[in-house]
Amino acid sequence: MLRKADSNFGFAVVAALIFFFIGGTLTTVVPPLVDKSWGKAFENNDPAKGPTGKLQPYTELELKGRAVYVREGCWYCHTQQTRTLLSDTKRSGWKGVDSPISTPDEFVYDNPHMFGTKRTGPDLSRVGGKYDTQWHRTHFRNPRDLVPGSIMPPFPWIVENQEEFTALVAYMQTLGRAKNWRPDNDYEK
Amino acid sequence: MPEETNSSVNPSAAPSWPVHEDTTAKWFLISSIAYFFIVGIIAVVIAAKFVWPSLLGTVQYLTYGRLRPLHVNGMLFGWLLAADMGLTYFMVPRLCGVKLWSEKLGVATAALWNVIVLGAVVSLLMGWNQGLEYAELPLALDVLVVVAWIMFGANIFLTIASRKYDQMYVSIWYIMGTILWTAFVYLTGNFAVLFATGVNQANLNWMYVHNAVGLIFTPVGLAIAYYFIPKSSNTPLYSHKLSMIGFWALAFVYVWTGAHHMIHGPISQWLQTIAIAFSLMLLIPVWAVVYNFFATMKGQWYQLKDNIALKFLMSGVVFYLLTCFQGPMHSLRSVNAIVSKTDWIPGHAHMAVLGAFSFFAIAGTYWMIPRVFKTSLFSEGLANWSFWFMMIGGLGFFVTLRLGGFWQGWQWNNVAIPFIDTVVALKPVWIVRFFSGILMFLGIVSFSYNIMATILGAKDRPAVAA
Repeated sequence: MLRKADSNFGFAVVAALIFFFIGGTLTTVVPPLVDKSWGKAFENNDPAKGPTGKLQPYTELELKGRAVYVREGCWYCHTQQTRTLLSDTKRSGWKGVDSPISTPDEFVYDNPHMFGTKRTGPDLSRVGGKYDTQWHRTHFRNPRDLVPGSIMPPFPWIVENQEEFTALVAYMQTLGRAKNWRPDNDYEK
Repeated sequence: MPEETNSSVNPSAAPSWPVHEDTTAKWFLISSIAYFFIVGIIAVVIAAKFVWPSLLGTVQYLTYGRLRPLHVNGMLFGWLLAADMGLTYFMVPRLCGVKLWSEKLGVATAALWNVIVLGAVVSLLMGWNQGLEYAELPLALDVLVVVAWIMFGANIFLTIASRKYDQMYVSIWYIMGTILWTAFVYLTGNFAVLFATGVNQANLNWMYVHNAVGLIFTPVGLAIAYYFIPKSSNTPLYSHKLSMIGFWALAFVYVWTGAHHMIHGPISQWLQTIAIAFSLMLLIPVWAVVYNFFATMKGQWYQLKDNIALKFLMSGVVFYLLTCFQGPMHSLRSVNAIVSKTDWIPGHAHMAVLGAFSFFAIAGTYWMIPRVFKTSLFSEGLANWSFWFMMIGGLGFFVTLRLGGFWQGWQWNNVAIPFIDTVVALKPVWIVRFFSGILMFLGIVSFSYNIMATILGAKDRPAVAA
C-alpha cells in the first residue's frame, strides 16, 4: 500500500504525518489525562500513606533564585530526581534517613522543570534544609574549599550579589521539602 | 535509483539537465563549516574544564553552564542542521531533475539562519536560557527558526512538486519527513512546552529532545547517506523494499520513546514501559537501513581506500549501527540503572551526532564542494588526515566515556562510596576525553581548511566529474 507514496507527493505527506501523530498524541497529550498526579500538587495528611506534607507554590524570592539557577545552567550537572533506585534514596538521604522517591506531584509548580539528564555533581532533589546559608556562601565562592576534589566552577559573582545569593539559597532550601521525611535532622532545628 | 543518479555514468545525457546554481547550498555549507570550527573551540574548552575546573571560572560569561548550551546548540543548529540543509538544497534539485524553486528565497533563508545562530551565541553567553534542554534559545529566536523552517520547507516542497521524475527516490521521502516532523517536533519542544509545568513539561521536553535527534537529524542524515553512498561509490542501492521498511518504521516508531529519558524517574511507570518497548523496536528501522547500505557496498569495499566521502559515509553507518544498538539497550531498566545520568550518555550522544550524522554531512561536503565550485579537492591527503583525526579522536572519546560512565554508574550504585570519590575517580577519563577532543578538533581544522582552500583556489584546479 505504501508503494503509492513512492510517486504520489500528497499521499507521502499525509501518510508520514499520520504515522507520526499516532505516537505523538498517545505519548504527549494522553498521559497527563490518564495520570492525574502530573498536575495535582502533593498533599498528604495520613502517615499510613507515606510521608506527610504539602507542596507550596514558590514565593517571589524563591522564583528569583530559581531564575539564577536556570541562568547559570546548574541543571546541566545536577539532576533533581530521586529515582526508584535504592542508591538514589540512600544518596538523597540525610543522617541515616533514606529519602522518599520523587513523585510527579512534587513538581507541579516547576517551570521550567529541572529534572536534568546528567549527574556530574550530586542530585539536588532533597538538598533543601541540609546546608545553611554560610555553607552555601563558602561553597559558591569556591567549591573546593569545602569539597576537595569537586569540579564545580566557582560562582563569586553570585555571592557578591547579596540579592541574588539570598534568592538562590532560598530556592535551594525548598528543594524536596514538600514531603516531611526527616523533620528531626534539619540544620535549622 | 532514479535516472539522474545513473546518468552520472553516462555524461552524454548532460545537456538536457537544468543548470544548477547552488548558491543557497554554497552559503549554507560555508557558514556551517565556520560554526563547526568556532564551536569546536568551545567544545575543547568545556572538555578542559572537567580537568581544570577553575579554568576561565571567574568570567561569568564563560562558565560551564553558559558554554555547554552554546556547544550543544552551536553544533546542532549552527553546524549540523545548517550543513544538512545545505546538502538538501544540493540533492533535491538533482533528484527531481529541476532547478531549485527559488535561489533567492534560499539565500534569504541562509542569511536568516546566520542571524539566528549569532543571536543564539549572544543569548546563551548572556545566560538568557529558557532552562529546557535543546530549547534553551529565547522565544524570539524560536520564532525566527520557525520562519526559516517554513522558508526552507516551502522551497524544497515546491521543488519536489515540480519534479521531472515521477518516482521519488528514498532520500526525498526522508527529506519530506524531516521537514514535516521537525515542524511539529520543534513546535512541541519550544512552544507547547511553555504551557506545561513539572512532569508534563518534562515529557514534552523529552519528546522534543529525543526526536530532535530521531526525527530531525536521523532522517536528514539518512537522506544524505542514501544519496551519497550510491553516488560516491557509483553503485546502485541494494534494495528499494528495505529502504521503504526503514522509512515507514522510523516514521511510526521514533516518536513514542521520549519518556525513556526518565526511566526510574518521577514519571508514570506505564509510560516508561511504552517508551522502552518502542525503543527496542527502533532496532527494526535501524537494521533495515544499515543492512541496505552494507549490501550496497558488497564487492565495493575496496573503494573506501581512496574515496574520502565513502570512508566517512561507511564509518558513519557503523557508528549509526553502534549508537542505535546501544540506545535501545540502555533504555532497558537494568542497564539504565547503571548508565543513566553518567558520562556514558555524552559518549552515546557524541557517537550519534558526531560519529554518525556529522560524518555523513562531512562526506556530503567533501563530495559537493568541489562539484559546485567546478574544481577538485585541494588535498586528498589532508582529507585523509581529517578522517583519521576524527576517527581516532572520536573512538577515544566514545570508548573512554562509555567505560568511564559504566564504572561511574557502578560506583553510584555502591552507596559505601561517597559521591565525591566517584567524581575524583573519573579524572583520568576526563583527561583522555580532553585529548581525544583535541584530536577531533584537529580533524575539524584540517577539514575546514581543506574546504576553504578548495573554494579559494577553485580556478587553479580542473573540475572533477559531476
